[in-house]
Amino acid sequence: MNIIILTVTVSFLIALALGIFLGIFQRLFYVPTDPKIQVIRSVLSGGNCGSCGFAGCDDFAKAVAEGRASPNGCAAGGKAVAEAIGKIMGVEVEAETKVSVLACRGTKECAKNKGMYLGLKSCMAAKISIGGTKMCNFGCIGFGDCVKSCSFDAIKIDENGLPLIDYSKCTGCGKCVKACPNGLLSLIPQESKGAFALCSNKTKDKTSIIKKCRNGCIKCGKCEKNCPENAIRLIDGIPEVDTFKCNSCGTCVENCPTHVLALRENIITFKA
Amino acid sequence: MSELLKIFIKAVLVDNVILVQYLALCPFMGMTSSTEKSFGMGIATSFVIVLATMVTYPIYHFILVPCKLEFLQTLIFILVIASLVQLVEFYLKKSAPALYSSMGVFLALITTNCAVLAVTFKCIANNFNYIQSIVYALGASGGFLLSMVIMSGVRERMRSSDVPAFLKGKAILFITASLLSLSFMGFKGLIK
Repeated sequence: MNIIILTVTVSFLIALALGIFLGIFQRLFYVPTDPKIQVIRSVLSGGNCGSCGFAGCDDFAKAVAEGRASPNGCAAGGKAVAEAIGKIMGVEVEAETKVSVLACRGTKECAKNKGMYLGLKSCMAAKISIGGTKMCNFGCIGFGDCVKSCSFDAIKIDENGLPLIDYSKCTGCGKCVKACPNGLLSLIPQESKGAFALCSNKTKDKTSIIKKCRNGCIKCGKCEKNCPENAIRLIDGIPEVDTFKCNSCGTCVENCPTHVLALRENIITFKA
Repeated sequence: MSELLKIFIKAVLVDNVILVQYLALCPFMGMTSSTEKSFGMGIATSFVIVLATMVTYPIYHFILVPCKLEFLQTLIFILVIASLVQLVEFYLKKSAPALYSSMGVFLALITTNCAVLAVTFKCIANNFNYIQSIVYALGASGGFLLSMVIMSGVRERMRSSDVPAFLKGKAILFITASLLSLSFMGFKGLIK
């Protein structure tokens, strides 16, 4: 019993002495800081995702206040935060909120696996060792490297084995885009319209794609031919949509035999 | 006097904290991208090492031993080191803001720098007296500074050399570090 009391008192006294000593030194070396930093920091989310290129929200707030970063540098905050920071700094800011979109529909039922994968449960490990667990080497591996990377808890792996992005939480910071070894995730503006291809298979061999995945783009080129606005072109086998020309008429979506194309306004709907 | 010199040389070369004991590899990899940065980090850590030894030695021998609380040494030492790091942070923020911002999180990480804790422990384990402890701490921090500066020099040279693509980045760094460490093994027989 005695030793416990002694331990507590000694630790407490030493801690107290150090605390007082530190307090004195803090006063001695006090540096005045810009009050703007605190205000800007309070607008930021505090997710510390690092998409601004600074060490964290604190660092970014400091950089903005000192004029080293632009007020719309916070990708995660999007439009609302950029405008709020602009107000604090007294400048006009243009910004748009982006969200992350997955360009793969290789669900458990539709895309065949290479076999049983017993290795490390990480997309990056599977990609390096055997090029991915699915027959399609471009497809989503589904171990959720993107889920782990997300600072905002916006992604989960759904029952189909694909990441499901909660657009009420996704801030467009772009961390998942960097985490995906297949580069399946990309950022698109939240309010954008137009068609979007949900497949990333860049091989041009039609039969091999059909064998590997029922939802894959089979490079038939129907979208390119039928588009009334001439907005679609197949680049590396993937339909690329010119968002300036596309008017969301939906012709390509109806004509696609494997339903690879979808309208952006319909993709960005899931909210938990 | 020769005894002290022996302890000093042993701490700098024979028992080099980084390259022989493999402690404090975190700043060794993270803070050696430029000589200026590594020198700043070396000085800051050295300051903490010496000061920590100066403070923890009396705390151990005049507070913990009489109270039979030797088992508390890890806890108390970490506490002391953490406050000393805070002190260094306050000081650098005031007097060298450029260095402070370039060191970033690594400055706060001196708190968990194992070299600091290891030196304070070793002084006690080796039954050094107060003067010997301080000399040992000076030697260890000198060794730390030395290997940091050597590594940063090598890295600056490496930036202009043609590194194979698969070794770029951290891989070549670790190979370089192991070769440096190998060369420090040559000092093993220097002091009996």
